[in-house]
Amino acid sequence: MSERSNLPVTLGFLTVVQEPSGWVGGYLVTNSWGRPLEFRLTTAVQPNRVQSVLYGPTLTEYLHADLIGKTLIEKTGVKPDLIVADNPATLGLRGRLEIPTVAVNDSAAEVPDTVPFTHARSTVPLLIAKRFENDRQAIADLLERVDSAVDLAEPFARIREAVIEARKTGVTNRAA
Amino acid sequence: MPHDADSDQKAEDTEQQPGGGHSADPCSHNAEPSLIDCLTVPRFERPLEASVRDGKLLTDAPWVRSLGKLDLSITTEGWKFPAPPVDFAPPARPAGELPLGRHEVKLPVLPDGGTPKKAPIRARPTADTVLFKDRLLCLLQPPLDGIFDGRQLEVPFEPFPYQLEGIAFLMPRHAAMLADEMGLGKTAQAILSLRLLFHQGTIQRALLICPKPLMHNWAREIKMWAPDVPFESFEGDQDQRRRTWLVSNCPLKLINYETLTRDEDLAADERITFDVVLLDEAQRIKNKDSKTALVVRSIHRTRSWALTGTPIENHPDDLVNIFSFVDPGRIPPGTPPRRIPLYTSDSILRRVKDDVMSDMPPKIVRDLEIDLTPAQRQTYVKAEEDGIIHLNDLGDTITVQHVFQLVMRLKQICNFDPRTGESAKLEQLLTDMEEVAESNRKAIIFSQWVEPLDVMAKALAKYNPLQYHGKIPQAERTPILDRFKSDPSCHVILMSYGTGSVGLNLQFTNYVFLFDRWWNPAIEDQAINRAHRVGQKHPVTVTRFVTGNSIETRIASILDAKRKIFNDLLSQADKPTSLGLSESEIFGLFDIKARPKRSAA
Repeated sequence: MSERSNLPVTLGFLTVVQEPSGWVGGYLVTNSWGRPLEFRLTTAVQPNRVQSVLYGPTLTEYLHADLIGKTLIEKTGVKPDLIVADNPATLGLRGRLEIPTVAVNDSAAEVPDTVPFTHARSTVPLLIAKRFENDRQAIADLLERVDSAVDLAEPFARIREAVIEARKTGVTNRAA
Repeated sequence: MPHDADSDQKAEDTEQQPGGGHSADPCSHNAEPSLIDCLTVPRFERPLEASVRDGKLLTDAPWVRSLGKLDLSITTEGWKFPAPPVDFAPPARPAGELPLGRHEVKLPVLPDGGTPKKAPIRARPTADTVLFKDRLLCLLQPPLDGIFDGRQLEVPFEPFPYQLEGIAFLMPRHAAMLADEMGLGKTAQAILSLRLLFHQGTIQRALLICPKPLMHNWAREIKMWAPDVPFESFEGDQDQRRRTWLVSNCPLKLINYETLTRDEDLAADERITFDVVLLDEAQRIKNKDSKTALVVRSIHRTRSWALTGTPIENHPDDLVNIFSFVDPGRIPPGTPPRRIPLYTSDSILRRVKDDVMSDMPPKIVRDLEIDLTPAQRQTYVKAEEDGIIHLNDLGDTITVQHVFQLVMRLKQICNFDPRTGESAKLEQLLTDMEEVAESNRKAIIFSQWVEPLDVMAKALAKYNPLQYHGKIPQAERTPILDRFKSDPSCHVILMSYGTGSVGLNLQFTNYVFLFDRWWNPAIEDQAINRAHRVGQKHPVTVTRFVTGNSIETRIASILDAKRKIFNDLLSQADKPTSLGLSESEIFGLFDIKARPKRSAA
């Protein structure tokens, strides 16, 4: 067993939710027990019609991966060993950062350009980007070091509640 | 544009050369001329002159509208949380699945096993959690269900769902009273709440205050429910205790009420602050001006938690006074009892066994009215008649103590006839104990006095009785309980209400006998709940002995009528009165004409 396999793992859970004021990113970094270490939110971003037309079908991935995902991860102090998203559109992040990325996917529909992946740490199937299929073994090794009580699909409910709380207190409008 | 018909014809001729043969024509493949060279293009006779007007860029409205910013941008805000201390860092895990038994515990099958999956139980920020960061820290914690299911943290058994709700109640609160009925596992809930807060790094120092007889019990429970949390007790002489107060960095410290009052100066020392002060059996501070209450309130603390199964032992003021520790100033002075819940409801969590009955086997209460033996009756009648004559003779010098003495005398006769030693209760008890022993079960017998326990111990010798009361030295008590639990030949333990009714876990016992009745139903409930508590796997039968047509039946009827008051206050019912017997009620036990002088006036 390598020394590396004994080091604690940090997980980054990334979600992008559509709020009335626009798209808001929420990013939670936890230890391998799923306990929070750091949390970061974005302000709401609402593409206008022209932006939607100009970005076309690339808009969703741009929002999830480039604009929100990459910004959140780069601004956060604690660097994750693995990024877990709840939307396949965020898998594009893998091409922008050297961090393995998976998406939980509870939809039965097939997602293009992804490879399904299952692990005991997730109650729902996982996806990895087809381009980065070689990450599979590294991701599996990382997940082995995560506490067996952790469910990768669970923290997103926490993040969404935190986003709602932030909206109530006006934090999503004043993030800086 | 001018057009030359001959030219057209010539071009056609060229394309139609038979056989595709080569000629001297410049259009032959060898010369590879351009297309223009191949064609005879008519030319203008003179260059054309451009006649173009100056172009104008349409940059203004209405021809052009601004698109605004084409790029999208965001800003972010982040919060860092306390890093879990190194001591509580997750253990390194081997690659591959966990080997069996490493982090697994054998989880008991619940009586209502197989229930459908419920929503996760999580701590929620309270109304008084003002800082957004604190609210976030609470919201972002993982659900409690997963933490205690035996995979992540070492626990003796998985807490019941209502206990997880209790933990979710305690964790975010700075002011909290967990007032579950006795036997529902307040100790475990409190310890697990502290353990998680230590793990989060939210707290670093906690002080647990409990009655002296329960120190061992708390130490045992902490080892069981929080084996990774170091703790120490305040022991030794004053210097040693001083070091524990001022120098020790142990995260969790245990102290009993008696030692705390001795160390009152240190307890109030401004240099010493605890993140949590946890008060067990918080009814100990029900008298606001008692030294204990004053010292407890003087401790510098961030969170104040109180545990009690009897938040109101006698009067609503009990609750008000406990709250002067839990949340000083929360209840305005002079608040009518019926309005108290308005101020306290968010900070009190109380569940009774009926609420969580699906998690617990039933408790069967049997009120057994027993006729006194003829000899007992004779002694009893004479004592009562003589006593009443004596009380009437006292005239206006009579006090409640005089009546009380007669009550005690008669109650003792109801237990044992002092002349003959006969006891109708003991005869019944011997019969019942045969059944207990035959079914290989264990029983607890409670009495108000130690002397009857000695007599019973002799009569029950074949069941290897153990005794646990105030005359048993402190150091011998825990071994007695351990033996009662582990020795299958010990079928019965004899306890006094004063010593045995609080804080002990005897859930391996299925029978409880109240040989005589205590003055306060709350104390009786505490005694019963030594056996009927979390971890109990079988029904518990409680037998309350009451001798018919006696002082016991008169007291019991008054107390039963008042028993419901205990819950009334918490459920915002009518104004409650005292739970115990008032002076006028004690006088009313007998048909006496005499009254204290002040009453007559």
